[in-house]
Amino acid sequence: MKTQTVTQNKTFKTFGFALILMMSLFTFNTAFSQTTEVTQERTIKGLVSNEDGPLPGANITLDGTIVGAVTDDEGKFTFPKKLKTGDVLVFSYLGYETQKVSITDKTSFITLELTPDMVEMIGAIDTNKPYKSKRKKN
Amino acid sequence: MQKTSLLLLLLFLSLCRLNAQISDFDPINFKKADSIALSLKGENLTNLPELSFKLTNTLNTDAEKFRAIYRWVCDNIANDYSLYLKNDRQRQRYKDDSLKLDTWNTKFRTKLFSRLLKKKRTICTGYAYLVKSLADFANLECEIVQGFGRVSTTNIETLDLPNHSWNVVNLNSKWYLCDPTWASGIPNPKTNKFSFQYNDGFFLANPKLFAVNHFPIDKRWWLLDDSEIPSFDTFLKAPVLYGNAYKYLELHNAPQQMHHTIKPYEKVIFKYQLKDHTNAKGVKLGFDNGFSTWKDQPTSISIKDKSLEFEHQFNQTGFYDVHLYIDDDLISTYTIEVKR
Repeated sequence: MKTQTVTQNKTFKTFGFALILMMSLFTFNTAFSQTTEVTQERTIKGLVSNEDGPLPGANITLDGTIVGAVTDDEGKFTFPKKLKTGDVLVFSYLGYETQKVSITDKTSFITLELTPDMVEMIGAIDTNKPYKSKRKKN
Repeated sequence: MQKTSLLLLLLFLSLCRLNAQISDFDPINFKKADSIALSLKGENLTNLPELSFKLTNTLNTDAEKFRAIYRWVCDNIANDYSLYLKNDRQRQRYKDDSLKLDTWNTKFRTKLFSRLLKKKRTICTGYAYLVKSLADFANLECEIVQGFGRVSTTNIETLDLPNHSWNVVNLNSKWYLCDPTWASGIPNPKTNKFSFQYNDGFFLANPKLFAVNHFPIDKRWWLLDDSEIPSFDTFLKAPVLYGNAYKYLELHNAPQQMHHTIKPYEKVIFKYQLKDHTNAKGVKLGFDNGFSTWKDQPTSISIKDKSLEFEHQFNQTGFYDVHLYIDDDLISTYTIEVKR
């Protein structure tokens, strides 16, 4: 009886271990599948505009690289490299605030409006012209 | 004990601030950065991330990376005199009407960026903006500083609107000053057209010298001890410094004011700290009494350990514009009225 119980316990242990192993594998496999899906590379397109409408000539660069695209006459772009979730695109144009956009699972088309940098434009010119006092005319 | 440590830390930090200038980078040779900037001469501004990458990707230190960006901007962007005049006129016109001034600023900003992008011509803020943009793409911490700049041709006693922009950059946890606009060149005295003439003196300049003709609106960017920050009135009364001052001088010590009234046979004392050794024969004063101009050696002169001191005695009554020249380069101007 005692021996039987021990044998039964052993069977349960072995079965339990196998079950846990299978569940772990299943879980791991599911996680793996998700990762595969997330990291799948795809082509990203988009439209960049400013306060006046579509903005031609805007730069779109993959963060940390010089791989990039430039918007066409209609403000549209197709990024030359396939991108994956987690990649970051940097949108820039001289005089506008640079914006970063992270690629998510759902990103396929990016619509973005750049906002002007509200810096006040001023300027004094240095010169080698000697200072001349204003004097009263005699 | 804690208090003492804190005081020592504050003292250390303030000393760090005071010494924030190019001499901190003595072991670094900027030749490689300069040659990269030179090799990219003529590049356009249509792709700033790429330009920034090309300027910096083969350089190892932040100081060199910033140097390449700064040098490229100074060598490739021209100062637009007509834009400057137009902006100056309109800003004076609307100075008491903030709404109209804002409208003008918005309109002018669009025009200015378009001119910078297409023709690589701009005014001060455009230089400072471009340096900051390129630095941002290289992950360097850089800011635009807005403020007042005193030059010989502005109405130096009545500056009422900010008229100048420059940069500060954080290198190895310390902030440094530089002025890309004034470093890029000066107008040709004959044609009044801008001419590229790089002046290295404005790169990571000594904050004490910088303070003689740069007054930042944001107090943080003096990079001086609080006790050394001049009032606006003191700033307006300072001597006129020219770009060459940054080539030759480490410090401008005396006289600290532009205007002086003295009696005949009185002497005026001049004191400077030089960057390099200079021959006493090259130090001259130029005089303009309203009728004629002439140059002369100071009455007495001494140069010891890069410390230049001289005095000049004024015997005749009159009103003199007095210019300091070193090796025929114009350094600074003072006015001296001699009367009984």
